[in-house]
Amino acid sequence: MNGQEFLDILTSRKSIRRYKPDPVPDEMIDMILEAARWAPTGENYQPWRFIVIRDQETRNKIGDLSKQGSGSRMTSWYCLNELQQRFEGIEDPEKRAGVLEFMYSGRVSEFCKQAPVIFAVIGDLQIGSVDVPYDLCAAMENMILQAHAMGLGSCWVYGPVASTRDAIRFKKILGIPTGFGDFKVLSYLAVGWPKEQRKHPRPKLPLEEMVYWEKFGNKERP
Amino acid sequence: MDKTKYCNEVLARVEELMYQELSGMAYWKCEFVGVDFIRSHKIQGSTVPEIVESCAAVMKAEGIVSDVAYKTGGDGVMLKMTVQGCMHHGKEAHVKAEGVRPYICPIANMVLDQIHEKLKYTTSYLTKIAIDEERNRCLLYMALYETPDMIGHVTDWLKDDEDRKWLESQGSQILAAADRKKKE
Repeated sequence: MNGQEFLDILTSRKSIRRYKPDPVPDEMIDMILEAARWAPTGENYQPWRFIVIRDQETRNKIGDLSKQGSGSRMTSWYCLNELQQRFEGIEDPEKRAGVLEFMYSGRVSEFCKQAPVIFAVIGDLQIGSVDVPYDLCAAMENMILQAHAMGLGSCWVYGPVASTRDAIRFKKILGIPTGFGDFKVLSYLAVGWPKEQRKHPRPKLPLEEMVYWEKFGNKERP
Repeated sequence: MDKTKYCNEVLARVEELMYQELSGMAYWKCEFVGVDFIRSHKIQGSTVPEIVESCAAVMKAEGIVSDVAYKTGGDGVMLKMTVQGCMHHGKEAHVKAEGVRPYICPIANMVLDQIHEKLKYTTSYLTKIAIDEERNRCLLYMALYETPDMIGHVTDWLKDDEDRKWLESQGSQILAAADRKKKE
């Protein structure tokens, strides 16, 4: 594979939130986990641990928690007229109302109930040195790219662990120790066969708006 | 020694590093900051107003705040508190002066914690912390969800709110990028 081919994998990826009910084969699950295992990690500590969840009841609980987390925030943002401003770019009033309802109801984050498999990505705070959150993010990215390279869709979901109270609930669902110094829950990754064709590519800022040369703010390439 | 000043300086430094690590997400992570104090007191009540009043009485008696006014609305989802003379006001002013929206309010956290502990609400969310330096007060808007079906129950919290105009001039959690663009 050359550089352009790898870049093609990166640029064709998108977050998928609707999945076919078909299961993800064990071999593919193993490859996703293998990809995670090879992520960069500070001092090779490998603090990551993964919980593979296919049980429908557990996914329902996590889906409900995700819905609750997102919905509780967005309902109140709507009530203070902030969520409406966030989506005022949608011109069609009916469409905008539909999007807003989808957001504040929390349904936007409920989709893991339909994903055949989800991976909880957690970090052992007793093993990692100083880089646990960053190591976990690197592992997550590897998993996303591996899934995409195999034709699977995935979505990195933070909703159910965004607040500390919800993170504890999430840990309890999965039996993860809840002590101060035990485990960090990064989030989970929902994976399945894509059922949607989302508009792609999503708009991305041009490099000129994000790259500086030699010093902050210097946009001129020397 | 000014213990309040010392305490706020320490907290502000911790908030700085939290913000550097988590950016705006820090806002969602700090709901337990301050709750140990209120848990060590005997808060009583079987309704939201009773819990708020019980917490406020303790906080006033201990010198954490000088006054707390509150109102409920939004069919029971909204709790608004107006806090006067909070000992953490200096910390909030410092954070705000750095261009960061205040994101840790021990006062709100204490009240929400006791609503969870005593009334067993499904969930809650501290939606808005607005610091009014001129009047030495803070406005806090919180969402309370007694049952899961109240999530998604939307009303206009600001319809008859006397602070609406001032509040709309304050920063928003979710409009940061848009706010920046407007300034440019």
